[in-house]
Amino acid sequence: MTAGVANAAASDREPLLRVEGLRTWFPIKAGVLQRTVGNVRAVDDIDFEVAAGETLALVGESGCGKTTVGRSLLRLVEPQAGRILFDGVDLCALSRREMIPYRGDMQIVFQDPMGSLDPRMRVREIIAEGMRSFGIGANAAERTDRVAALLERVQLDPDWMSRYPHEFSGGQRQRICIARALAVEPRLIVCDEATSALDVSIQAQILNLLRDLQQDLGLTYLFITHDLGVVRYLADRVAVMYVGEIVEQGPTEQIFARPAHPYTQGLLSAIPSTDPSRRSVRARVIGDVPSPANPPDGCRFHPRCPQAFERCGRQRPPAYPAGAGISRCFLSDPAAR
Amino acid sequence: MSAPVLRLVDVLTTFPAEGRRIPVVDRVSLEVDEGEVLALVGESGCGKSMTALSAMRLVPKPGRVESGHIQLCDRDVLGMSVNEMRAVRGRDAAMIFQEPMTSLNPVQTVGAQVVEAIRLHERASFDAARARTIELFDRVQIPDPEQRFDAYPHQLSGGLKQRVMIAMAVSMRPKLLIADEPSTALDVTIQAQILELLRELQRELGTAILLITHDLGVVNELADRIAVMYASRVIEQGDRVDVLASARHPYTEGLLRSVPSSARHGEALHEIAGVVPSPLEWPAGCRFSTRCHRMEDRCVEAVPASTPVGPGHTVDCFVVADEVAR
Repeated sequence: MTAGVANAAASDREPLLRVEGLRTWFPIKAGVLQRTVGNVRAVDDIDFEVAAGETLALVGESGCGKTTVGRSLLRLVEPQAGRILFDGVDLCALSRREMIPYRGDMQIVFQDPMGSLDPRMRVREIIAEGMRSFGIGANAAERTDRVAALLERVQLDPDWMSRYPHEFSGGQRQRICIARALAVEPRLIVCDEATSALDVSIQAQILNLLRDLQQDLGLTYLFITHDLGVVRYLADRVAVMYVGEIVEQGPTEQIFARPAHPYTQGLLSAIPSTDPSRRSVRARVIGDVPSPANPPDGCRFHPRCPQAFERCGRQRPPAYPAGAGISRCFLSDPAAR
Repeated sequence: MSAPVLRLVDVLTTFPAEGRRIPVVDRVSLEVDEGEVLALVGESGCGKSMTALSAMRLVPKPGRVESGHIQLCDRDVLGMSVNEMRAVRGRDAAMIFQEPMTSLNPVQTVGAQVVEAIRLHERASFDAARARTIELFDRVQIPDPEQRFDAYPHQLSGGLKQRVMIAMAVSMRPKLLIADEPSTALDVTIQAQILELLRELQRELGTAILLITHDLGVVNELADRIAVMYASRVIEQGDRVDVLASARHPYTEGLLRSVPSSARHGEALHEIAGVVPSPLEWPAGCRFSTRCHRMEDRCVEAVPASTPVGPGHTVDCFVVADEVAR
């Protein structure tokens, strides 16, 4: 049912990616027999979709499960339940071997470019490796030409292809990671905090590059980040995660102008603004994020919510329609209005 | 008129590399007045943390303060003995850092660590210091302060650990608090709580704060005045509103415009071309000249001096200085 609401909320374009009831739990093992004594509910029953050519931002604080969503999509971790429909095909139903061609369609760019580039490989080998695996380029010479073109595409000097990753700055390394992702001609790129480790002037360069690539190549992005400034700049739609659940989803403009869920409201009021005419930060959300191994009953946000009432601790709120999106909050219940 | 709590005059701090000494703090001059919040802002490696460490005489070896004058609470920092300096740290000026986990001892309870800090500076019985600590924990809004006194750092969340650090830092009611990226490692809702707490404490205790951060939003929330650093030099300084609303240095201007929230959706973000040069390849003259869209011949020949562009607002740029003179 929730998927239905989310689908109605999405744009009229055919979704490239549709996720239904995705659940990725990590077992907690204890004792000599390593029995499972509980689960970390990293991703707990979430639905969303991304239209072709669109950018969906998945935002939330540390430990909310946003990174696990990205990894589950590429099946770098195995989800326990749910469907991941990529272009209509359920990736969860595929075997490892059947999954291979889809790995080229979906690429991921991580936060730490140094950690995701092999320090002993030259840039040329790093970028050509994926092409070889997916049979792109007839021979080594052709692949080298493509590497040069890709480097130029991400605004790096093609003459640098025989250098090693440590010879580059952080921003340049992230450009290499982007070139590597582009090398296999993906349709969807998951950017997991791809600009979070960069200084603001370098971050601006990378964000502009990602935006230009999307316009030129028609790429689809799932942008995972904690930075709401980046979200506002880049995303068409936003999904807000809290302790393994999507609590609100909607078009970027609506989320920023009229957030429906108290968590989204708290998150937005906590962003420091650079506008000197106002000092706007308010700590509306009290206390700490609960552990996903032991989430609160009812609405997971209710112990920190300034507007919680009795029902919130008792019952899990379903996804109610909110504007052109959804909100998992009883305050959005049309019957309560 | 009262003297500033902290005054740096032409401070030069260097590290050895490739057989010469490379400046990491290059003739920096700034003042923090009583009860004032000065934000020292800049990108990674610009020297903002080294400036703060120089003020506390904590520059790690083989780095050293070569020249200049540092005055902290009417005392000459570079002229003090090691023991005198040790007494000043924590009592007159305290520091909090970005990573509370690495600043706390993992094998000692957080309460005992604050008690130790208190008893280092004054004669107090353990019980009296313990009572003070619990009071401080309560003041920095640590829930169940009595129970948390006996907690080890790993049992506390990042936000609570930072509150313990703040409690320890303000335990001696210092005149100056140096806060080095105090909220950078925290989630945004927790960051908001810590910023509110710092603002309250500052008002209540009248403590001056030297705030070191890369986040211009945090600067706007807390600072009275701003000093912008680039490649080891302060290049613009002024009141919060003047610098954020009418930045004059091309670097500050570009930095403010490259913050994503300042752009509209779909518009290209402003970019500062290129990368910060390595300290080994710093250009002669203005260090920003290699990336500056207003660069002229003279910019690579000489270092621009600080020029007033408004009340208390100075900019180190030849082109801007000419505009003002006209």
